[in-house]
Formats: sequence, structure tokens, C-alpha cells
Amino acid sequence: MVHLDHINCILGGAHALTDVSLHVERGEFVFLTGPSGAGKTTLLRVLYGDLKPKNGAATVAGVDLMRLKSSGLPALRRKVAVVFQDFKVLPERTVFENISIALEVRGVPTASIDRRVRAVIRALDLEERSYAPCRELSGGEQQRVAIARSMVVNPELILADEPTGNLDSDLSRHLIELFKQFNTYGTTVIMATHNRDVLSWAPEARQVHIVRGQVTLPTAEVLSGAESVAARRGA
Amino acid sequence: MSTSKLMLRGVADMVRHPLPQLLTLVTVCMVALLAGTGLLILHNVQAEVLKTQAQARFQVYWSASSNMTEVEGQWADLKRVPGVAEVSTFTPRAAMAELMRGLSAATPAPVAPPADNASMANATASNPNDFSWLEGENILPPTALVSFDIPAGEAPEPWMGRMYARLRGLAGVEKVTYNATQLNLATGWIALIQHAAWPALGFFALVVGLVVGNTLKLMMLARKDEVEILSLVGARPWFIRAPLFANGVVQGFAGGVLSLFCLKFLQSWLKSVLDVPPLFLKVQFLPAWQCLALVLATTCVAGLAAFIAARK
Ligand SMILES: Nc1ncnc2c1ncn2[C@@H]1O[C@H](COP(=O)(O)OP(=O)(O)OP(=O)(O)O)[C@@H](O)[C@H]1O
Ligand SMILES: [Mg+2]
Repeated sequence: MVHLDHINCILGGAHALTDVSLHVERGEFVFLTGPSGAGKTTLLRVLYGDLKPKNGAATVAGVDLMRLKSSGLPALRRKVAVVFQDFKVLPERTVFENISIALEVRGVPTASIDRRVRAVIRALDLEERSYAPCRELSGGEQQRVAIARSMVVNPELILADEPTGNLDSDLSRHLIELFKQFNTYGTTVIMATHNRDVLSWAPEARQVHIVRGQVTLPTAEVLSGAESVAARRGA
Repeated sequence: MSTSKLMLRGVADMVRHPLPQLLTLVTVCMVALLAGTGLLILHNVQAEVLKTQAQARFQVYWSASSNMTEVEGQWADLKRVPGVAEVSTFTPRAAMAELMRGLSAATPAPVAPPADNASMANATASNPNDFSWLEGENILPPTALVSFDIPAGEAPEPWMGRMYARLRGLAGVEKVTYNATQLNLATGWIALIQHAAWPALGFFALVVGLVVGNTLKLMMLARKDEVEILSLVGARPWFIRAPLFANGVVQGFAGGVLSLFCLKFLQSWLKSVLDVPPLFLKVQFLPAWQCLALVLATTCVAGLAAFIAARK
């Protein structure tokens, strides 16, 4: 699903990613961990085609990122859905509209859109807010809308950047369960987080640790912070 | 989703940002009004110039002793010369009557105090406006005022020279005068107008384009999140651009039509102000094709600007 070989990224003159290699198979659940500023968001940006690596080889969902032109971007984005910490939902539009937009851009027929959006809304327990504009929703509800938008299209890969960063523990756990459930249906999930609890809720997931723009090898890994906690709970 | 549906959505979405939309509309309308005013001025100057001076006019004088039957035959021939717009002829008698009419109009009529019939008759005898005494010794020659529309594609000057020679060569003709300087001035004006019109229109298009483009850019800044999200979920460029394009087209069309109403208002006002002595300028409104062109140009330019502004 994801094949990165020795990629380098430079942001603002500094190396944001240095010689990163990462291989993720279809159906895997991967956590990206690491301290703030390590390059987690940067790596995810590479994966959804927002940032082109300077060199190396990179393929995501069969799309060669090194040769990706802007005209090829929509095709990649239709296979790869993204969820952000700050939700990125449209505040003036309703829950239904925010979710259906992902299907509309794909040219899905209206009747089918209706059915699929309703199903996702029910799964995420948003039925009562279906026609409320998103600005009237709580943070947790907005994040569920964002997740619904990424799930409704049945993507091959979901990238999530601190999706629980703004949410309380109960809600975070509920959302991680949702991701796990989705993952069992075959969608590959890559989630950046530095929340130790989140790591502990999905102990079977692989963890990839990033420090100063480099993926640290498990052997050289200094078990500390998030990793150590996860390791202990997982064990 | 079909293009037409996308465009409709773009138009429907206009109400989501009423203030920038309104400001764009006002700006487009103002710029179009400015261009329309320019067109109005050009149109009226051209109409005025054409009406008064763009014809070649020859005043032909025969010798006073000419045989009138012969002269009248020549007049009949003149009317058949190609390009002749009008021939006004004056027999010595008619010329005299014209002259007298002119003279009496130029002399203010005396304010006669109301009086009885006898004194009235008396006054007539000594009326300073009575030029009938001139009639007995008519020394005026037969004349003709011949107006031509200069054939298209002819340079006025050589053409007038040839026509002059032809008229001067008629039997019995003593003198021919013509309005060369006025005509040169008039054709000069028209040429100037026609040359100025294209750069002016180009300038107008540029300004409308910049204004609409920039305002839409600003509005896209307001919709930046939406564009970002659309692109994140895999929208093709056209999906993002079509609504903005429709928005620009509607803005251009509405602004153009609105500007026509403003222009009509301006024209009525100018007419009421200028159609008074001594100007008597009847300011006309633009012909239909120019109105249509104005709206069409505004619409096209605004649509194009929106299309370009919507590019990443
Ligand atoms: N647009 C940018 N221009 C310049 N430097 C950038 C830019 N974005 C990120 N960086 C730098 O790249 C490095 C990695 O940033 P990144 O956002 O990937 O970190 P992160 O691991 O996501 O951190 P956090 O956990 O705080 O979100 C940081 O040093 C950051 O300062
Ligand atoms: Mg980050």
C-alpha cells in the first residue's frame, strides 16, 4: 500500500525528513509516533500528495508520487482519505452536506449518495444532527463528521493526523474503536499521535517511531515516552 | 455531478458571501458604467459630427446672366450624379426670398404700440423688415447647394478636388465653393474616435477583468477552506472552478445590465441639462447593438477573470 524508499524532504531550508523508508501492507494499522516537530505531519503530507519528496522512491496505493502531476492528484485523493486534528469541516454546511461532498466529487448518483451518507451517519451516531450546520456541533461531533467523510468513500488508505488531539478520553477511545473496526474491513490506517493512551487502545498496531525526521530502527530504539508505555501495555 | 448543476450551485452559493458579492457587483457596475459613458460620448459626438459636417457640400454659383431653362436642366442632371445626398437649388427669385427671410429674421421686429388700422398700414410702409425693394433689381445668380456622401473607400480630399473640377466645368458656372476644412475636421474626428475606441475598450476589458478577478480571489480566500477540502477529497479542478466561473459570469452579466440602467438614467439627465439654448444637444442613448455588446463584453471578461482567478 505504502512504499517509501530513502526519501528526503526539505521544508524551509531544513531537512524535515531524512532518508525515510517505510513499507505498509494492505490492511495494516500503523501508528506514527515521535516527539513534537519530529516530522509526523510532514510524512503524512507526503503520503497524500501534498508534498513531493526531493529524492528517493515513493508509491502510495499504486500511485508513483515522484512522478505525480497535479492532474493526477484527484485520483490519489480518491484512494487516500485524510482526517485532521482540526477537523477541516465546513462550518456553514450541514453534517449531511459535509459528508456527501466526498461522494459528489466522485460523481456518485444522488440516490446512492443519500443511502451511503445515511448509513455512515448512523454508524457514527450523528443521526440527530444530520441537518445541523457544523458550526453548531461540538468538537467531538465535528471530528466524527470528518471521520464519516473519510469513511463514506471506502478508501484504500486512511491517514489520520492526531485525530483525537482535541477530544476527551472517552470520545478518543470511541473513535479509535471506529478506526479499528474500519481497519478490520480491509482499509489500511496510518495514524500520527503522541497520545500514549491512544497507542494502548490498539496494541496490535505497528508503531513507527520518528525522531528529527528519521525513522528510528527498532533495534536502536530507545524505549521512552509513548513507546515504552505502549510496549508495557501491549505486553 | 453535471456541469450545469455545479454552476447552479455556484450561483446559489453566492448568497453565502453577500457582502463581497455585493461589492463586486457595484464595482463591475461602476466600471461598466464608466465604459458606457465613454461609449455614450463617442456615439453622440460621432452622431453630431456626422449630422452636421461629414457631408461634402458644394455651393455652385452660375453667372447672373445664365439662361434659366439651361440651368434647370443642369440641376436635374446634378440630382442624378452618384453619391448625391441632397440638391437645394435657388433661382434668383428664390434666393432673394431666402435672403430676405434671413435678413428679417436677423433684425429684431419693432415693438409696435397697439394702434388703429390706419397707423398700422403706415407702419408697414416704413417697416425696416421690408426688403421688397431689393426685388426690382435682382442681381443674385442662380445657385445650387449640392451635398454628397463621400463614397466609402474614397479619400475625401482628392475626391472633393475631382468633384470640384467637374462642377466648375459645367457650362455657365462662375464659382464653386466647398467645405474642405470642416470636412477634414469631421473626418479627422471620426478617425480619432474610431482609433480611440479600440484601446479604450481594451482598457475597459482589462479593468473589469482585474476587478472581478481580484474580488473573486478575495472571495476564494474566504472560501479557501472549502477549496482545500474539495481538493482533499479528490475533486477535479473543474469541480472547484465551475461554480466560481458561474459566479463570475453572473456578476458580469448583472453588473453590465445594472450599468445600462444607470447609463439610461445618466443619459436622461444629460439630455435635460444639455437640450437648452444655446446648445440644443439631444443626447441620444446607445444603439441596441452597443448595449448588447457592453453587457456581453462585461459578462465574458468577468467569466474569464473568474476562470483564471479560480486557478491554483
Ligand atoms: N511549512 C513548513 N515550513 C518550514 N518548516 C516546516 C514546515 N512545516 C513543518 N516544518 C518543520 O518540519 C519539522 C517537522 O514538522 P511536522 O509538522 O512534521 O512535525 P510533527 O511531528 O507533526 O509535530 P507535532 O507532533 O507537533 O504535530 C519541524 O521542525 C517543523 O518546524
Ligand atoms: Mg503534526
